[in-house]
Amino acid sequence: MIEAAIPEPTARRHWWTSPSFLIGAALTLTVVATALLSYVWTPHHPTQMAILNRLKPPSSANWFGTDQFGRDVFSMIMVGARNSLAVGLGAVGFGMVLGTTLGLLAAMRRDGLLDNAIMRSADFTHAFPAVLTAIMITAAAGPGMLNAVIAIGVLNLPYFARLARGSALQVWTRDFIQAARGHGLSNWQITLRHVLPNIAGIITVQATIQFALAVLAEAGLSYLGLGTQPPNPSWGRMLNEAQTFMAVQPWLAVFPGAAIAVTVLGFNLLGDGLRDALDPRVRRAR
Amino acid sequence: MTTRREFLAGAGLEALAAQLPVIALAQPKDSVTIAMTLEPPTLDPTSGAAQAIREVTLQNIFEGLVRMDRTGKIVPCLAESWEVAADNLTYRFKLRTNATFHDGTPFTSELVKFSFERAVAPDSTNAQRQLFAPIAAIETPDPVTVVITLKQPTANFLYGLAWGDAVIVAPASAANNKTSPVGTGPFRFVRWNRGDRLELARNDAYWGAKPALAKATFRFISDPAAQVASLRAGDVDAQTNLAAPEAVAQLKADPKLKVAFGKTEGEVILATNNAKPPFNDLRVRQAIAHVLDRKTIALGVYGFDVDLIGSHFSPLHPAYVDLTNTYPPDLAKAKALLAQAGHPNGFTCTLRLPPPAYARRAGEIIAALLAQVGINARIEPLEFPQWLERVFRGKDFDLSVIAHTEPLDIGNYARDDYYFQYRNPEFKALIAKIDVTLPEAERNALYGEAQRILARDAVNGFLFVLPKITVTAAGLEGMWTDWPLPITPLAEVVWR
Repeated sequence: MIEAAIPEPTARRHWWTSPSFLIGAALTLTVVATALLSYVWTPHHPTQMAILNRLKPPSSANWFGTDQFGRDVFSMIMVGARNSLAVGLGAVGFGMVLGTTLGLLAAMRRDGLLDNAIMRSADFTHAFPAVLTAIMITAAAGPGMLNAVIAIGVLNLPYFARLARGSALQVWTRDFIQAARGHGLSNWQITLRHVLPNIAGIITVQATIQFALAVLAEAGLSYLGLGTQPPNPSWGRMLNEAQTFMAVQPWLAVFPGAAIAVTVLGFNLLGDGLRDALDPRVRRAR
Repeated sequence: MTTRREFLAGAGLEALAAQLPVIALAQPKDSVTIAMTLEPPTLDPTSGAAQAIREVTLQNIFEGLVRMDRTGKIVPCLAESWEVAADNLTYRFKLRTNATFHDGTPFTSELVKFSFERAVAPDSTNAQRQLFAPIAAIETPDPVTVVITLKQPTANFLYGLAWGDAVIVAPASAANNKTSPVGTGPFRFVRWNRGDRLELARNDAYWGAKPALAKATFRFISDPAAQVASLRAGDVDAQTNLAAPEAVAQLKADPKLKVAFGKTEGEVILATNNAKPPFNDLRVRQAIAHVLDRKTIALGVYGFDVDLIGSHFSPLHPAYVDLTNTYPPDLAKAKALLAQAGHPNGFTCTLRLPPPAYARRAGEIIAALLAQVGINARIEPLEFPQWLERVFRGKDFDLSVIAHTEPLDIGNYARDDYYFQYRNPEFKALIAKIDVTLPEAERNALYGEAQRILARDAVNGFLFVLPKITVTAAGLEGMWTDWPLPITPLAEVVWR
């Protein structure tokens, strides 16, 4: 009886054949594979300078050309993927774990003091423009990759807290929760055994979409010099440095720009595809 | 009734009117628009340190007793001539008799006394008060004579009088010079639209040779891309120092423009905290010096060759000695020196960088070079106020990259409290001696000695001098292409 009321964890249709999921997964896999490959192989050392070989156009030796210090742009893009994903993973992980926990807690203590405190704090954080807040946090805490992770993570918090609370509240009204309560389970046990598994799908979808935004935010912070620090390659900083060479060597801006676009598009499409598969509301609407 | 004469007169006038535009076109252009990167905060060079104030006002609106010419030589200005007494303590200046301020106030010896006393008054904000510190007394026996007595012989006294901080101002106008400057120079102030432009016009009552230009406009364009665009579009006739070195090739290829590479007094150094381990060890500093491949660094920063330095001295000065080979690039030697100093595997330190592109780019290259011998220099970018607070005032740094733009500033190395904390009694004694040595050849020899000591002690990493990239329209001549003082005098600028 309980089983019947819970939305099924897998979809009935072949959702994995949807174009947005396929394209998103392909792009995301490419980026992730590139990032992983960069740990064992890059065509050149990504931070090795060769000043005499500066600002060269793409060639068989340097597939994406070289930058103002003669570094290989292709190798830098590869290692940059690693850094972008690491910041995305850290920031979204931080926001997801903490935000979901707070959201579940708020749902459990609905309309209580704790619920109000958590949700008003989330509203407060949410009220500030996201990237501006990230700039403020990194400017105050000092530039660097870890601070960028924390800054972007803090911005992710309210999204997950609100989503987790709203979805959990829906689950709490279900009959099987009453049944569970009848079995003598405590609020904590119900939250962990029944509420969390039921909202996991929707949280995953949100995480994928937030991931795209986090990659974009990291690029923005690095562009302003507040994210990943030199000599560690970063797409955002590469874009910033390419700007002064736009009139002379435009491809310097094209490649990091394309890398950011591909990654953001990939995660967005993947998020759409997953939502179609996992969100019961969307499925029912079909 | 129209008589024949009236008709002819009318026709003549018409013919004249038709010809007028043609005549105007045939005459050489007599106005110029010059772009510079930074806007001055005020227009009074005696009120603050900002270099941009001097760049627009010195030798244009304001003048001193002497001035520096484009080669760095001190030549007469408001003082027609001067005599220095045998004891090197008394300077007797003979003044110009035909100089007046733009508001008609005649220039007299009283105004010299007023200006110099004003500069050291308690409420003065003069940025270089030490220029006037050696003065014991200023006497004005008659309106065209000033006698200045010094407390002790001061070798660079006249040199200092050529700076913007020592210009002559008049009591009636001095208070308003920040916004409507009144001086004795070849150009007078017309209008200042803050954030955009400053307009000057020829001073037709000027005591010296009349400038060729009737009108001059300074425009303030800080964005490097906008500088390039304005030059190419012909919106401006010149840029005093281009902030976009990467665009040089593009501008050189433009037949409407001329690009000149000049020297400045801006020594770019890898500033090193001499009081902090491990940099207090000479061998560590020598090792760093052996790693710094100046040619590579300069090429990576600018993309073309600039003047390299081996000590804290600009090649613009006649006393310059080429010491770039004191510690030639040699990684094996650097590693050996590090091992001797007890760091066979190198060490980790910070490299705090201010915002200018030359510092950020040079810093990144230097970090990569140092990594070759195991020195892991972590780059920390700082904003300028932070840099001044932490590095310059707080001395809280290991390494940094910065340009020292004051002319002839080697004396800073004799200051114990200066941020790189070099303490050498031998060097201090030498600078004290230079200060009282007046014969030029002798003094230059001592400056050479001072350069050698700094190079030998590898006090800082000495890299290159900031280049001055002057871009002008093809027909414009007479702009300063070197910067013994970072100023843009317009008196000799002319269209050909």
